[in-house]
Amino acid sequence: MSNKVDPNLMKELSEFGLKDAYKCYHCGNCTAVCPLSTPENQFPRKFVRYMQLGQRDKILTSPEPWLCYYCGTCSDVCPRGAEPGETMMVARRWLTSQYDWTGFARKFYTSEKFEIMAITVVAVLVGIGLLIFNTGNPNWDHAHLNSVWPSDKIELADLGMAAILSFLLLSNVFRCYKVVMGDMATKIPLRVYGSQLKELIIHVLTQKRFGKCEDRMQWFVHLMIMTGYSSVFLLVVVLINGLTFENLKFQRDLPEYALWHPIRLVGYYATFAIMYGTTYAIIGRLRKSKSVYKYSHPTDWMFLILLQLTTMTGIFIHFTRLLDWPFPTYALYVIHMMVAVPMLVLEVPFAKWAHLAYRPFVIFLLKVKEQYAKEQAAVKVPSVALAD
Amino acid sequence: MAKAVTQSILVVGGGMTGLSAAIEAAEAGHEVFLVEKNPYLGGRVAQLHHYFPKLCPPSCGLEINFRRIKNNPRLHIFTMAEVEKVSGQEGNWDVSIKVTPRYVNEKCTGCNKCSEACAMEIDNPFNYGMDKIKAAYLPHDMAFPMRYVLDPALVKSPEAQKVKDACPYGAIDLDMAPATLDLKVGAIIWATGWKPYDASKLDTYGFGQYPNVITNVMMERLAAYNGPTQGKILRPSDGKEPQTIGFIQCAGSRDENHLPFCSTICCLASMKQATYVREQYPDAKVIIFFIDIRAMDRLEDFYQKVKEDQNVQFFKGKVAKIEQDEATKGLILRVEDTTSMTLHEVPVDLVVLATGMQPNTSETQIPAAVQYDDYGFVASLAPRPGIFAAGCTRTPLAVSESVQDGTAAALKAIQSVLRR
Repeated sequence: MSNKVDPNLMKELSEFGLKDAYKCYHCGNCTAVCPLSTPENQFPRKFVRYMQLGQRDKILTSPEPWLCYYCGTCSDVCPRGAEPGETMMVARRWLTSQYDWTGFARKFYTSEKFEIMAITVVAVLVGIGLLIFNTGNPNWDHAHLNSVWPSDKIELADLGMAAILSFLLLSNVFRCYKVVMGDMATKIPLRVYGSQLKELIIHVLTQKRFGKCEDRMQWFVHLMIMTGYSSVFLLVVVLINGLTFENLKFQRDLPEYALWHPIRLVGYYATFAIMYGTTYAIIGRLRKSKSVYKYSHPTDWMFLILLQLTTMTGIFIHFTRLLDWPFPTYALYVIHMMVAVPMLVLEVPFAKWAHLAYRPFVIFLLKVKEQYAKEQAAVKVPSVALAD
Repeated sequence: MAKAVTQSILVVGGGMTGLSAAIEAAEAGHEVFLVEKNPYLGGRVAQLHHYFPKLCPPSCGLEINFRRIKNNPRLHIFTMAEVEKVSGQEGNWDVSIKVTPRYVNEKCTGCNKCSEACAMEIDNPFNYGMDKIKAAYLPHDMAFPMRYVLDPALVKSPEAQKVKDACPYGAIDLDMAPATLDLKVGAIIWATGWKPYDASKLDTYGFGQYPNVITNVMMERLAAYNGPTQGKILRPSDGKEPQTIGFIQCAGSRDENHLPFCSTICCLASMKQATYVREQYPDAKVIIFFIDIRAMDRLEDFYQKVKEDQNVQFFKGKVAKIEQDEATKGLILRVEDTTSMTLHEVPVDLVVLATGMQPNTSETQIPAAVQYDDYGFVASLAPRPGIFAAGCTRTPLAVSESVQDGTAAALKAIQSVLRR
């Protein structure tokens, strides 16, 4: 098999935030110190090498960037200050742009201007949409969101958005599947995929691999953001209209749920978890408190800022509703949506958020490969015995 | 130009560089004062088993120099002494020297009676604390000057009188006080050398925590006949013969988090130590973990020779982490073979960390304004008129290069005091 060398790869990657990879003198310290690096799937030095040698295809078909959680240990011990951890992060950004067939992700990562523009355009569209499409008869006596934007209509919009998002993300995931599996894609029977589904779910829920990193604080913070985000997703997408059950509805006007009602508790947990996680990360990035926070790409900031703004406007709405102030509630609702929708529509399929699909999925694919190899080995053993 | 008030020369540091400089200058007819911090001369070389290029024991090269010192009345030696103050200018330096009490005077014959009478023991600094010695001791068996030393802890203890009484020559003086000497010299040669980088700062290697992780300077002592094991290379944890020995190169060298520079000698030092092991244990296996092998000029031949040994493996990759097997006290090294891009866990019985040279001037600077480089080495051979830096004070050097550098500095100093 021939290897194509792309002499401009390092330059291209520098647009994705690559900085010091050229300093590497290949001692292998980073790979050997990494608690997640294994003989079968070792990183990060391999990727520094691939980048320096312009081995585009090798990076493209590699699963390892998704196995790294960027705990920063490799960068801490690097004798050259070549920032191997950041290099892996760059590999993930680049892969996200490569999996994406629309070309949007690439623009997103390489142009800050484009990123801001895209978010502004979507935000304005959402704002205009909410002002045009409403009941036209808001309740000005009480803060009743359903009187302006009824939850069943929002549910429809949610479903529409979810469909578009899923289509974009899943089509990219499929492309990821094809490059990572290569010719194995058609070889492995579906049954093997099925047998490893449990792993996929466990990884999504616990991110237990992250727990193997030396800095377990990062795992905790990440878990907080992830669970908070998932809870909110459950509330605003799945349960916005309560799946027709009146007392599971998230967007409900008075009477307010009791304080210990599960919907309220989940909402409070989510708010706390996201605020805790994002605040920790924002302070860390401002102070550059550890290797993982040393370099911040515009997309890193955008992700944290949008998430925190969404949560903050959500908190405000909660209070204005409780205080029964109609106008502030409706106005904040529009702002809330203007932040949340672009964040979801743009970041999930095209930017940092896409890792929520790629990471567990690639781990799943590796488990599938591993299982398949095990089964193949088991089949081979008796045939050897026969030959004897 | 001012006239040189005196043509005498001060040499600071009695290691290989300082000795060479002092002897050459004295033999050229100058009054020379040699100041050494330790109670003996010879510095780091005295602590080696064998040294390059001829792989002779230090007794060989040092003995000749000590003979030259004895024959030269113009050379004055101050041991256990440090330079405290330097003022003045080229040709006219005022220097004050602080002398720490040895508690033993020149009447000492080296009869060992005081040591026999002494019960108190201290960590042996000459063997990097790997064994104990009596608190009334001869620093090592070919110490020059051949004179015992009393540890301050012993002098303060009630045992002191007993030790004093044991001396048949009246050589022990318990009331000896720190003294300050003021000298006037024409030129100063600074050759305070280096110290091994503190391996306990390499926190993934477990030095100080795992008994079988030692440094290259400790390995020299293990191999030396007058070392803690009388020259047998044995594991510190159980005194057993090691079957597999791992050498970790660049342990704290070429590393931005530690010493960012290359000490140039550690590659050859490890290869040399590999030959010690191979001579003692014909079946033992040696693995040298390296990033790049730096065998300077003629020493390439030595590298080729060591490479031919089937039992010496050169493994390209920096060891990232050492873990200890609690039962056997064996060590497991996690390392990537960077040539094949494969991750390994290599078990060995003994680990030798090839730590680099940290210039002593990075901690104790010359008490006169001179320029240093980023790592604490004096920036040039002649950093200022009348002051000369030589040997490992200037740059990491091997023994033979230190001799050359010391001689060069002597010549510079002589020119400095004569040209006025």
